[in-house]
Amino acid sequence: MTTSEKQRTHGMNMDALDRDSGSSELKLSQETPCIVTRDMNLFYGETQALKNISMEIPKNRVTAFIGPSGCGKSTLLRSFNRMNDLIDGVRITGEVNIDDQNIYDRRVDVADLRRRVGMVFQKPNPFPKSIYENVAYGLRIQGINNRRILDEAVEWALKSAAIWEETKDRLHESALGMSGGQQQRLVIARTIAVKPEILLLDEPASALDPISTLKIEELIHDLKDRFSIVIVTHNMQQAARVSDYTAFMYLGEMVEYDNTDTLFTNPAKKQTEDYITGRYG
Amino acid sequence: MKINQEAHTSHISQKFNEELEDIRSQLLEMGGLVEKQVQDAVDSLVDGDSRLASEVRKKDKQVNQLQVEIDEICTHILARRQPAASDLRLVLAVIRATSDLERIGDEASKIAKATLRLAEEGTSPRGYIEARHLGSQVRQMVQDALNAFARFDTAQALAVLREDDKVDLEYRSATRALITFMMEDPRSISQVMNIMWVLRSLERVGDHASNLAEYVIYLVEGEDVRYTKTEKIEKVIRHEEDEVEGNLLGQDQPDKDE
Amino acid sequence: MRLSFKDWTKSGSPWIWLNAGAVAISVILVLGLIGIIAIRGLAHFWPADLQQSMATDMQGQKRMMLGEVVQKEQVTAEQLRGAGHQVDVEDDFLERQLFKVGNRDLYGFDFRWVLTRNLENVEYPEHAVAVERREWGNFYGYLLEIKEHGETIGTQPLGENLLWEEAKERIDRAVDIYWQIHALEKQDIGAINYELEQLRLEERRLELEGQDTPENLAQIEEERQHWDQEYQALLQQLSKLNEDFSRDSFVMRTTDGQQIEIGLDNIVRAFQPNSMNVLEKLGHYAAKVWEFVSEDPREANTEGGIFPAIFGTVLMVLIMSVIVTPFGVMAAVYLREYAKQGFLTRTIRIAVNNLAGVPSIVYGVFGLGFFVYFVGGTLDEVFYPEALPAPTFGTPGLMWASLTLALLTLPVVIVATEEGLSRIPRSVREGSLALGATKAETLWRVVLPMASPAMMTGVILAVARAAGEVAPLMLVGVVKLAPNLPLDGNAPFLHLDRQFMHLGFHIYDVGFQSPNVEAARPLVYATALMLVAVIAALNLTAIAIRNRLREKYRALDM
Repeated sequence: MTTSEKQRTHGMNMDALDRDSGSSELKLSQETPCIVTRDMNLFYGETQALKNISMEIPKNRVTAFIGPSGCGKSTLLRSFNRMNDLIDGVRITGEVNIDDQNIYDRRVDVADLRRRVGMVFQKPNPFPKSIYENVAYGLRIQGINNRRILDEAVEWALKSAAIWEETKDRLHESALGMSGGQQQRLVIARTIAVKPEILLLDEPASALDPISTLKIEELIHDLKDRFSIVIVTHNMQQAARVSDYTAFMYLGEMVEYDNTDTLFTNPAKKQTEDYITGRYG
Repeated sequence: MKINQEAHTSHISQKFNEELEDIRSQLLEMGGLVEKQVQDAVDSLVDGDSRLASEVRKKDKQVNQLQVEIDEICTHILARRQPAASDLRLVLAVIRATSDLERIGDEASKIAKATLRLAEEGTSPRGYIEARHLGSQVRQMVQDALNAFARFDTAQALAVLREDDKVDLEYRSATRALITFMMEDPRSISQVMNIMWVLRSLERVGDHASNLAEYVIYLVEGEDVRYTKTEKIEKVIRHEEDEVEGNLLGQDQPDKDE
Repeated sequence: MRLSFKDWTKSGSPWIWLNAGAVAISVILVLGLIGIIAIRGLAHFWPADLQQSMATDMQGQKRMMLGEVVQKEQVTAEQLRGAGHQVDVEDDFLERQLFKVGNRDLYGFDFRWVLTRNLENVEYPEHAVAVERREWGNFYGYLLEIKEHGETIGTQPLGENLLWEEAKERIDRAVDIYWQIHALEKQDIGAINYELEQLRLEERRLELEGQDTPENLAQIEEERQHWDQEYQALLQQLSKLNEDFSRDSFVMRTTDGQQIEIGLDNIVRAFQPNSMNVLEKLGHYAAKVWEFVSEDPREANTEGGIFPAIFGTVLMVLIMSVIVTPFGVMAAVYLREYAKQGFLTRTIRIAVNNLAGVPSIVYGVFGLGFFVYFVGGTLDEVFYPEALPAPTFGTPGLMWASLTLALLTLPVVIVATEEGLSRIPRSVREGSLALGATKAETLWRVVLPMASPAMMTGVILAVARAAGEVAPLMLVGVVKLAPNLPLDGNAPFLHLDRQFMHLGFHIYDVGFQSPNVEAARPLVYATALMLVAVIAALNLTAIAIRNRLREKYRALDM
């Protein structure tokens, strides 16, 4: 490793995160950002669920949100593909920029946004259709019905989601006959079949057994070359295992956002330390 | 984040608190024992007390036993609790510290062995004063390092690191003097060489003590300060981080970009 | 033992007993209901033996009697004395029997009560013949003579059975011709009549529109000529068949000595129940049951089958389902998925739920006033002016009946569908939305298929309710005797404007409006059984469909 490389590496580690500011305003200077939020606030009616979130989420990296229940991490995640629009009385101020466009701009086509920013949920939610139709669903929505294109896309997605071997002989059987872990990987395959840029995972393994969980984590690791991944998890070990960057949220605020290695060995904030080591907050 | 010695008592899991407290106190117990070993070894050398020297050699087994026990508890904590942040650093520091303490014990045992040899071969004409002096210095270092561990006191740890530089200086001047003496009186080489080995052991004890001090800084500050110059370490402790970067090899991250 | 009752209460077993008892009573009630209907209804078709006896009436006159014993019952002596019978003091009860003696054309009545003690010489003559006739009900008596074109070709003395095989053959032939005539009248001639009627309407329409140019009229006249010719040809064929049909006749003798000639064109079937073995009786029974479910009614609904009523009921329920399902589903989708969940939506929902509790006759009145007179009347004026003043849709008919019942069952479908929609896990909708589907696409591709079992539940409930409704139908389309089925071979095949028959109304009509109460009673039971069976079949079909859907969308049990 040459000196300049060394400088860069360490430069990234330390410089990437402006840790002295003491606020939640954190920047990643060495990464290409894919999601940039600025002074984002989110209200459920009168209650404020997210407070002044300003952060950059790097491209082709895994970013994890951790924090206690109700801290707003899922809300933040769901605001990246406007899933919060479905809930009555949600109001958002500030900006969420993806590719330099504020996704809360009125001109943005929400369906198109959601195609670009895919989402996988806590519980496996395959549609009551065949495995093939599940994966082809997003493409059919886009009006693609050409059998050959669909076949290729389905195979590609299932292979990418590391579930091709288990499903190739029963593509036309119901997806509901699969195990929970398989279903969740199928859902991931379904989501990546439309080739999104960003993959949002909302506690994707919390309903699964440990082995299935590991398979999902392995899959996340494989997918991060092709997608920018943001994952919300209750499981701190999981965040530590899969992510490159970790954000700790508490009561709607971004308490600390740092390199995962740093955050899990030497967090800057006491709240973070208390949370990740299991202390009284 | 800087932590203090109360940090390991506030977990939601009381059992976890106890386990962490357990390895800390066991480490200190082991440290006390090792410190005593160094003291006894040096005393036996200076006084030519073969009985004490044999006792030191016997007690070394106890030190080894303690290391195994503490390491085992640490392994269990790692496996079962998957500690993070300061807890993780505490466990790591304890594991590393036990190994250093065990090495110090080994050095004490070597000194005791030298005492026994000297008792057989006849006393050395020179070097006892240097040994006593260096001995008390490194024993103090061990004690200070352990105190720093007990109190999570980075200032004292830094003092230990500074002390090590002095010990190295002392060691070099003492060896130079003894070499000069041997050149003048080749007949005493074998006896003086024993003292030389003792001095060498004491210097090693000093090094291990400064390792302990580094672990304290790692434990408290979260920064790995091994192979780092003292001035930089001082800045770490004072949280003047701007200049620290680039030298902290210990903060080695997997190079994701490359 | 003092605490035992308390302990017993605490153990919960009284509740279990109570619950089990309630279930048991329900089961017994249902089984009893179906049992009574089934026994009374189905026994009617069994060929009962003909009993011949000498009966003494109140005036002391003796008379031979031949007939089926329909019923036996105990009557109090008091009652009999009141009716003028001589009853001994020591008798409290006497048995009396109801005889079906038939021969209405001769006796004027076909049922007769006789006290058992007044019967003598009870016997079951082997060759007594029961003849089912198309008019005047059954004839019970003995075959004496067979005539062809009024000339005797064979006779037999009383007590012999030489002519029976010949008679049966001739009856078969006559029945065969009957069906030919039936087919000719119903299908071919019916079709021509329909075409002629269409032509008449066409002519009238042209007239109304001022298009009655000579060419147009000539064209119509030409077509009419063509149909008339065909009609004449068919008529010839028909009269030939009719001649064949009335070729033969039987001379029969009643048990009390009267002689009567019965044309074979008036005979449905003849049999000798006393000489039939069980197997033959079973065959006869099956034929009768088949006749009941597959043929038109005869003699003011007291004889023959109830096929038009079954057909009308099923068709009406199917049309109702076809109307109510999309309406209910759309309403439920809007209420649950699109409407803002505010005061107004809540009010609407409550109103819909309450609509389910409105008495059905009110719907009938509404259907008559709104659908029949207003909508139907308007439709007639706009689209069918040529038929006026005879109404097309401005009169009760199948369409209005179906619509009225659709309205009646709409709340059920709405509520069930809403329930189903609300049970679709949010995660599945979100999964679809997160793939870039719009709300409508999500609804159409994921939510509605998953809610389809609930919709089917709604339809099942709707069918169950609609099939049993009679009151509103009496106002909007049901008649006691419909000349044509609402579905036939003439375009447009499904005639929504026609009136139709309905099992429920048929029961009412046969049971309460029939001139011949005794004859009608078993039919009421049989029809009721049929109604229950039809509703059960409709429901079972719907349940089977629902279960298949459920299996398919066995949703992610969340």
